[in-house]
Amino acid sequence: MDPVIRTSGLSKHYGHIVGLESLDLQVPPGIVFGCLGPNGAGKTTAIRLLVGLLRPTHGRAEVLGIDLAADPDEVQRRVGYLPGDFKAYPDLTGGQYLRYLGNLRGGVDWQAVELLAKRLDLDLTRRIGALSHGNRQKVGIIQAFMNEPELLILDEPTAGLDPLMQREFLALVREARDAGRTLLLSSHILTEVEAVADMVGILREGHLATVDSVENLKARALRRIDLIFAHEVPEAMLAGVPGVQEVHADGTIAQLTVEGSTADLIAALAPYRVDDVVSHEADLEEIFLAYYAEEG
Amino acid sequence: MFANAFLKTLRDQRRALVGWGAAIAVLVLLMAALWPSVRDMFEQDLLAAYPEAIQRLFDVEAMATGAGFLNAELFSIILPGLFIAYGIGRGARLTAGEEQDGILEVVIVGPLSRTRLLLHKAAALATGIIALGAVLFIATVVASAVMDMGIPVAHATIGTVAMVLIGIQHGWLALGVGAATGRRALALAVSGTLAVAAYALHVVGALVAAVEPWQPLSPFTQAIGPGPVGGTVPVGFVWLALTAVAFVAAAVPLFRRRDIATA
Ligand SMILES: Nc1ncnc2c1ncn2[C@@H]1O[C@H](COP(=O)(O)OP(=O)(O)OP(=O)(O)O)[C@@H](O)[C@H]1O
Ligand SMILES: [Mg+2]
Repeated sequence: MDPVIRTSGLSKHYGHIVGLESLDLQVPPGIVFGCLGPNGAGKTTAIRLLVGLLRPTHGRAEVLGIDLAADPDEVQRRVGYLPGDFKAYPDLTGGQYLRYLGNLRGGVDWQAVELLAKRLDLDLTRRIGALSHGNRQKVGIIQAFMNEPELLILDEPTAGLDPLMQREFLALVREARDAGRTLLLSSHILTEVEAVADMVGILREGHLATVDSVENLKARALRRIDLIFAHEVPEAMLAGVPGVQEVHADGTIAQLTVEGSTADLIAALAPYRVDDVVSHEADLEEIFLAYYAEEG
Repeated sequence: MFANAFLKTLRDQRRALVGWGAAIAVLVLLMAALWPSVRDMFEQDLLAAYPEAIQRLFDVEAMATGAGFLNAELFSIILPGLFIAYGIGRGARLTAGEEQDGILEVVIVGPLSRTRLLLHKAAALATGIIALGAVLFIATVVASAVMDMGIPVAHATIGTVAMVLIGIQHGWLALGVGAATGRRALALAVSGTLAVAAYALHVVGALVAAVEPWQPLSPFTQAIGPGPVGGTVPVGFVWLALTAVAFVAAAVPLFRRRDIATA
């Protein structure tokens, strides 16, 4: 199937500051694509290019099969978008604002809006200017989801949400994906991306460091394993096992850093008596740090 | 109220329109209340005592009629100033202000194209100014009837249209500069400068013979030249309307082609 997002050499320079450099990305339909990166990595720049709010310095982007430079109006008609710093008319209530946006989009199923508001525990009768940051963010999330767009582009959607609401939001994301829609979201919160994303792109200083499935990234992840031997640690043997990157031995305790699969390590341990194994679950945090360390 | 961007923008003006409308109505009625005593001064020939130069500078003769009095007191500076101020203030806010507040991007990433958004906003701004014009027209007609100023409805209409046109022209310039650049302060500065320059050209053109040929270029002269409360429809109205449309039309491609700012 044709990718929903396809960019080639997409770049944005702000004067001499590089916001994004030569992004080549393909996002297939029906998945959740997580965009990760530290502050200033270029996530917001990439997202605002993809919704046609920024014009690229170089390169091109196709969204929903439409050349963004040729017909930005059509792309904007069909995507749902949540900006990283969502703001709305402070004098309107959440309900008035959502009705207005719904009307601009040719009408909206109001029951769907009310259901979303209920799930996110948002009072639609309150003025947006009087809402807390998290509640304002919910208004932004609802406007992005309410028309059931085929592509949702969300910049740090969970910013300001409490853990309960974050979970509800992730449920919305999964439901949208299961209904066949495509979602691209950026985040600092690695666990949440790990929880919903099918594919992850890691940005760093405007460059795409890697794109991979969450499983593959995990497979390439550095994992910390503690082994407690009955006797002296066979340090030299451990250091020679494929995938083992670091060994710290202290009496009968060995702390290892292993990349990817631990199968070789387990096999190598067979002749030894190991009393205990403590494996620290690989998460994207470690992958993340590994990528940063590699580049930096 | 929220059916489209035009109605939403009109709704956003409702409080301002009530306030400005009330101010304009009160201003016209108060000024008209002075009319009987001014008329008496003419009838008793009290003004003849002033030196002739003073009489000419202030066009004292023209003030002998109700229309001349309102033209001199309201329609030559105060009312154009109010309509221009309303147009510029609103025009600069409509896109540039919303953009700088970070509100506009969600509206733009939606089915409403930038072109149509700008046209909706321009239409709503013009409608607001026309509403102020309607208040001015009614106040003028009522004041003329009550104070026996003898201003025909047609003349009051022409005076009102002059104010509306100069307001829309400056408002659409502010809207256009705001849309083209995304900067509200710049929109205010450019259109404010046009207003001051137009007024200066109008006044200097009246006083200095060498500048006089250029005077018809001034939007002020185009609007209020022959009256504006009077019996002739100035050709200048066409120029005001054309330039106003040109300001918005020129902004469309620039608005479409640029980066939208974040808050
Ligand atoms: N309007 C702008 N003018 C100049 N530089 C900008 C502008 N917007 C972004 N940048 C720069 O571009 C780079 C990428 O910024 P961007 O906002 O895309 O990062 P981000 O990944 O979204 O960061 P964060 O996680 O903090 O939101 C940064 O160095 C930033 O300073
Ligand atoms: Mg960002």
